[in-house]
Amino acid sequence: MEWYWALALLLGSILALMAIGMPVALAFLAANIAGAWFFMGGANGITLLLNNGFGSLTTFALVPIPLFLLMGEIFFYTGLGTRMFNAIDKLLGRLPGRLSYVTVIGGTGFSTLSGSSMGSTALLGSLMVPEMNKRGYKKHMSIGPILGTGGLAIIIPPSALAVLLATLAKIDVGALLLAGVIPGLMLAGLYVLLIYGQTRMDPDAAPAYEVETLTGREKLLQIVRDILPMMSVMVLTVAGMVGGIFTPSEAAAFGALGVLILAALFRCLTLEAIRKSVVGALRVTLMAYLIVFGSATFSQLLAFSGASRGLITWATGFDLEPLMMLAVMFGVLLILGMFMEQISMMLLTVPIFFPLAAQMGFDPVWFGLIMLLGLEISFTTPPFGLLLFVMKGVAPPDTTMREIYTAAFPFIGCTLVLVVILVIFPGLALWLPGL
Amino acid sequence: EDTLSAVHAFPETLIYTQSFLQFVDKVNERGAGVVQIQVRGGPEAIGMFQQPDAVRDGVVDMVYTPGSFYGGAVPEKDALVTSNMSAPEARAKGGLDLIDQIHQDKMGVKYLGWFDSGVCYNLWTRDEPQLDANGNLDVSGLKLRGNAVYNAFFTEYLGAQVIDLPTTDVYSALERGVVDATGWTQIGLIDLKWNEFLNYRIEPCFFSTDLGVIVNLNKWNSLSEESRAILTEVALEHEQSSYEALQAKRDEDFAALEAGGMKVVTLEGEAAANYLAEARNKTLERMKGLMAEQPGGDANYDTLVDLFYDASK
Amino acid sequence: MQSFRRAYDGVVTGMAVVAGLLLIWLMVAVIVSVAMRNFGMQPFAWLFTSTEYGLLYLTMLGAPWLVREKGHVHIELVTAALPEPMQRLVSRLVAGLCVLVCAILAWKGAELVNTNIARMDYDVRAYYTPKWLLTLAFPISFGVMAIEFARFTFGPRLLHSGEAGVHE
Ligand code: NA
Ligand code: NA
Repeated sequence: MEWYWALALLLGSILALMAIGMPVALAFLAANIAGAWFFMGGANGITLLLNNGFGSLTTFALVPIPLFLLMGEIFFYTGLGTRMFNAIDKLLGRLPGRLSYVTVIGGTGFSTLSGSSMGSTALLGSLMVPEMNKRGYKKHMSIGPILGTGGLAIIIPPSALAVLLATLAKIDVGALLLAGVIPGLMLAGLYVLLIYGQTRMDPDAAPAYEVETLTGREKLLQIVRDILPMMSVMVLTVAGMVGGIFTPSEAAAFGALGVLILAALFRCLTLEAIRKSVVGALRVTLMAYLIVFGSATFSQLLAFSGASRGLITWATGFDLEPLMMLAVMFGVLLILGMFMEQISMMLLTVPIFFPLAAQMGFDPVWFGLIMLLGLEISFTTPPFGLLLFVMKGVAPPDTTMREIYTAAFPFIGCTLVLVVILVIFPGLALWLPGL
Repeated sequence: EDTLSAVHAFPETLIYTQSFLQFVDKVNERGAGVVQIQVRGGPEAIGMFQQPDAVRDGVVDMVYTPGSFYGGAVPEKDALVTSNMSAPEARAKGGLDLIDQIHQDKMGVKYLGWFDSGVCYNLWTRDEPQLDANGNLDVSGLKLRGNAVYNAFFTEYLGAQVIDLPTTDVYSALERGVVDATGWTQIGLIDLKWNEFLNYRIEPCFFSTDLGVIVNLNKWNSLSEESRAILTEVALEHEQSSYEALQAKRDEDFAALEAGGMKVVTLEGEAAANYLAEARNKTLERMKGLMAEQPGGDANYDTLVDLFYDASK
Repeated sequence: MQSFRRAYDGVVTGMAVVAGLLLIWLMVAVIVSVAMRNFGMQPFAWLFTSTEYGLLYLTMLGAPWLVREKGHVHIELVTAALPEPMQRLVSRLVAGLCVLVCAILAWKGAELVNTNIARMDYDVRAYYTPKWLLTLAFPISFGVMAIEFARFTFGPRLLHSGEAGVHE
């Protein structure tokens, strides 16, 4: 079968199944059953599908997500989160959209250090979205920044995905990690500008409610009593990682433990709060992991059937100017990213893209960073973006998938702008590693 | 014309995969019009640890993988792991014929060839390794990364505090000091960039890589006589040439590492002998135990061990 | 019949409770193993392995309950445009398709368990774990999920809200 038929068959079936409202995980499983039957030699292909799901679920890398979720849910159900956000509200005064900025700053800090896009989205989503919803923020003002900063986890070091990319492409790991620092911070800056623009264009997007003005003494009290203790949990979690006491994958467990201890100290840790937190964390974990189970094989079917390889070789087979070729490669990443998970995409594209990039005269570190940005975008592009589904799970029940998709688009736009800036000023990426 | 679909366990850019792809190219060149191998990809096409079952079930016809990834089905792979011989030597002695027969009986696959042999494992550490009064390696202060291949040796003989980490996590674990020592093959450390953190290599090296090509047996039997002849012939050649290529690559890597400041600490005399003997014994004990549980039992244990070990070395 | 249904619902809830306990176990296992390491002890390798296997059991045991709770995310962007009676029909058909998918996987899962026992397959990590102990989760989970989806196909409740994406 020609690659384009395989591609059309696989993508067509998943799109059709999603469109008729089949649960996403089941849509993947259904498409996989058909695809496995077709491309992997009948019934044994379905057995492989189960074995693949087994392999993709039983990896330690997935442990942080439920635990970050648990951490966020405990923050929420014990009321610790509300206390902290009330205090931040008061401290920041009347700045429109203040919690959106807090999300960008806190999210950038947290997602980058944790290195886990899904974990960070899970934590921030369960922590911030309900609080901001309560305060009358429109959905896109809370969801968008979280989706945006979640992706930053892979750009700013530490980043497991960047290490893997550098290893696969045989480029300097340290250089690629350093190259992400300035562009990553710039991207966070673009997010801040975006929020400023969004609140200016639509003043109702973030509520302009009055908050009491505080004296310096009161401010200090708010900080010491309601913000510092909560922040200290986050800071200790990060410090433990940086200090080598635990790995980023293990950090989430200590974050959850820290919040439990804190809630006990503040005497708001009830059995009911724990039960609700576990149920909340469980719901999102189950939903996301059944999708992981199903989508693992879908990515593999795209590869095994030759569909994605065909697309890549076809698209890069034209005789093009370097900049056009870059656009083509980035476009391929965006298309694959709509349906595939990041590691599979890297394994597929690196062996073809990097030799091509070398031929075009691109700096490999710079090109690696551009690829990371493409992978970052794919976390949040419909229809398949794991962060989108995690967000759907943690957001208030009346949040629609359409709202989540539309909240993500402006932030995807920011990344595209950044890519253009990096093409014009490659030094922004290459200056730090060159020092 | 016969065609076989194939996948490889490791990513395409890894040196071992490149070696397999060279084998494929040779087959496709010599087998033009007779037999062709179509590579479908690596772990992105079928999960690394699912590949052995996939070839066994006929989802794919050929897989290039370490035997250690299917050690549950064929525990005899530890004969290769503990071997001190190269593939051509083991082939000449008849060891690989026995391994092929075991693969056919226990897993329904043809063991076509043992590639990239002759590469062994070293312990690599960040800080200068400490030796006790008798010259034995003292691991008490080490945070040693382990995995299924060498845990039997590390924990039971060395008494080390092993931290199980997937390969992809090791770079950041070294960076943060979560681990400060790991086992790894003689080559490949530079590709993984672990040499940014590791400064000492401990000699002697132990174990051997156990990468091989396995082919679904029904598929194998369905091939024409001529196709099987070509595949076998090229596999034998590649056993020799990949062995030689990796010996050269090892010398190159060692030179590059030493130029970059890697120091070598060598265990001497009895300490070295014990170290090697125990690496082997602990692993073979595991193999014998697993064999005993399986149909067929451990009857050919001694034969197997003899065929893969040159006591005169 | 009534009491049978209650007992069945209790089983599904019970599976979810086990999943919740496994989630807490993930936290405990990681903390214990890090603590041991930092106090210079050898962390039990089974702590690490138990978290990896825990993820599988957690997902598989909880998934049927989440079907009942309508917690598996789906997208109603397109179907919301259909007239109401059509929406109901599509909703039941989709649930029926889910039954089919789960039934196939339950059946193939049961076959896989049999194969694993017959071949004496092991999952090779720090330990050699009999594979069927793990794959057993598949026929159970997908079997119960098939029943839960069947209730949306034939029962009074619908899987979809039909509220133009308000209650996806
Ligand atoms: Na990061
Ligand atoms: Na996507």
